[in-house]
Amino acid sequence: MLSHGRRFDRTTALFLSLLAVAFIAATFDVRSDGGGVGGVMRDGAQLLFAPVQRAVGLVAAPFVGFVDGVSNLAGLRAENERLRREVARLEAQVRETEALERRVAELEAISGLEPPQELAAVTARIFASGASDFDQIRFLDKGKADGILPGAAVIDEHGLVGRVDRVTEHNARVRLITDPLVSVGVRVQPSNETGVVTGRGGDVLRLEMFQATEPVYEGDVVVTDGSRYPPGILVGYVTETADVVVGFVLRTSVEPAADLAEVDFVKVVVGWSPLDAGLVDGEEGVEPPPFVEPPAADR
Amino acid sequence: MRSRGTALALVLVVAAVVAQTTVFGADGVRPFGSAPNLVLLLVVVCARWLDPEPALFLGFTAGLLVDLLGSAPLGIWAMCLTVVAYLTLRVREHVADGPFVVAVGILGLTLVGQLLFVVLGTLFGLQTISDPQLPRKLVLPALYNVALAAPAFWLGAKVLRPHQRTWVGT
Repeated sequence: MLSHGRRFDRTTALFLSLLAVAFIAATFDVRSDGGGVGGVMRDGAQLLFAPVQRAVGLVAAPFVGFVDGVSNLAGLRAENERLRREVARLEAQVRETEALERRVAELEAISGLEPPQELAAVTARIFASGASDFDQIRFLDKGKADGILPGAAVIDEHGLVGRVDRVTEHNARVRLITDPLVSVGVRVQPSNETGVVTGRGGDVLRLEMFQATEPVYEGDVVVTDGSRYPPGILVGYVTETADVVVGFVLRTSVEPAADLAEVDFVKVVVGWSPLDAGLVDGEEGVEPPPFVEPPAADR
Repeated sequence: MRSRGTALALVLVVAAVVAQTTVFGADGVRPFGSAPNLVLLLVVVCARWLDPEPALFLGFTAGLLVDLLGSAPLGIWAMCLTVVAYLTLRVREHVADGPFVVAVGILGLTLVGQLLFVVLGTLFGLQTISDPQLPRKLVLPALYNVALAAPAFWLGAKVLRPHQRTWVGT
């Protein structure tokens, strides 16, 4: 039917028209940075779909749990072994941490410093995700009414999960740190040098350090630097050792600390904003490391 | 009858979007870390049965819904699923239904739809092409869609053309 005369023409014309409309919509949406008409439509769609998604999520939970359990049976033995090793490693880490905590407490007492307060946070449940494997977003069952604002850091018991990028009255959308559009200012421990961690779409992040003076090693801890998110939140661990090469950006990869595939409940930090750290109009709240002048021969 | 079929197809697609974001969402059923692309599958099934214009509108609307509930710029999935609907319309006139044809068709259309998203997503700044898990994200949903093709076509046949006999149902 399509290949005969007028019908073919009408269908193809409609096809091309719809493509043109979609292309224009995408262009406008990119230019308005997700705001404007597109933003209103997104909020409206979320408002309409959220109750249905929550209901379906609740009804389907036993089925999903059953399928999940069955599909995981084969991997349980390996998982058990991995957890044993993890427990042993953590026990050793706890002993080291206790010793360090005592030293920190002594130093704080000597210097008269106040220990950092717990950040105010709202606990929320993830009830839906994006509609394709390429979406690095999650939807939370808390919103403006609970004090959540765009830009808020989202964490779980392991570390940084992402940041809130859209909020309605009772829902919020989180962009995960694995999203290529999310960048996080970080410090690498123990060198304490700064860098930027960016998502790559998969489950590994990219770390770039523009002023590195020391190499980073596999297993180094990466925490937020306090420029956009509260300082000291665990982001992940360096997975590959990388050396400093003068004149080049130090690049390596980081494994997120948060288990983003399994995260169910999260905390949204509501008691902190970049302003708390003195970040005003691009001014960094945390003093950046001094610029290292490259040797004359390398310029 | 024609508008009733279109309305039913729309209901199927909306149900697929809800299932995709919940049952097959990040915390749902995801064998090997991936899920079927249900919305794309339903667009193919509906385009198999609907008239050309409603089929194209359905592909566009389904894509728009995926865009609205996802993180891509509005219109990217709309373009992809409109193309998938158009290709289905072109193919259905030349090829008779059959298990092998349907399997190959679903595999090919899912791959084309998702590859198009990767290309357009990269053009619109999503950096999808640099995703280290790209092969898995392309291939597994296509294979799952093939596995789900029989029940999906059976459902399409039941709902959209109840009196027409096909290889998967009556």
